[in-house]
Amino acid sequence: MIIKNYKILDSTNLKAKELARRGAGAWTVIVAEEQVGGYGRKGTSWFSPKGGLYFSIILPKSNVEDLQTLTILAAFICAKTIKENFNLEPFIKLPNDVWVNGKKVAGILTENVIGKDVKLSVMGIGLNTNIEKFPKELENTATSLKIELEKKVSNIKLLKQIVQSLKEQLKTISE
Amino acid sequence: MKTEIQIGDKVYQIEILEPQENLLKVKVNDKEYFFTKNELGELSFIEDFKPSLKETEIISGASSEKEIKSPLPGVISAIMVKKGEEIKPGQKLVTLISMKMENEIISEGYGKIKEVKVKENQFVKSGDVLIVLD
Repeated sequence: MIIKNYKILDSTNLKAKELARRGAGAWTVIVAEEQVGGYGRKGTSWFSPKGGLYFSIILPKSNVEDLQTLTILAAFICAKTIKENFNLEPFIKLPNDVWVNGKKVAGILTENVIGKDVKLSVMGIGLNTNIEKFPKELENTATSLKIELEKKVSNIKLLKQIVQSLKEQLKTISE
Repeated sequence: MKTEIQIGDKVYQIEILEPQENLLKVKVNDKEYFFTKNELGELSFIEDFKPSLKETEIISGASSEKEIKSPLPGVISAIMVKKGEEIKPGQKLVTLISMKMENEIISEGYGKIKEVKVKENQFVKSGDVLIVLD
């Protein structure tokens, strides 16, 4: 697993697509401490201040159906990772979000570039880990692990567990 | 663009191509060099370029397909091309949102748009024709 760390990015998905176009290999992980243009489906913005875990994975070339399955599984994997590490009961809001105590804690966005076949795929995951406080317009709908647990969590530990689980899952569905 | 330059006694065949958006390929005799624009818009050399989009195949000729079809069901969220436009390999044509993913549909060859068969926010099935080429 190659992890590329950035202090600040527009969006880890955009960076991952750029690096994949330049030939970066599958399972390269792009991490940003902060995103200034983080986005979800249909371009909705994803609040990405310092403290959160924002990363994108360059996925191996796969068929579209497998990528779709993997994206749904990514929400399950995020929820499972949260459940196994902390005393929380995450809830999967299909297809792409994970909630804790009725508020969003993680979101997933897979992006593909397709010609005659899939040319490249990246999966971006935003996980609200150590965010202290959300702006007024989000505080009723978003939460973070730090807010729920009242303690700091390890971003790198969660990142490695999630990527490892995704790798294993894709291997299983592609077989 | 192809040209020939002579430095001293040596003659170099130079070919410059743009196989994808934001990717410049400079071929000097048989060796290929790739450049991209960095965040500041400056050209930067890419060491150890691996053509992830099989660009050698893509740039080899005009598109043989006359219709570009939807690879999966979803909703068209953006259309980047219009009737009469010349397209090139790697160019973004439409964005399609399926329930779980955003998909950029790109051109695999050179061509001219004869007709765009879909509108924004339209639902399409897998295999529906999106664009017809001349």
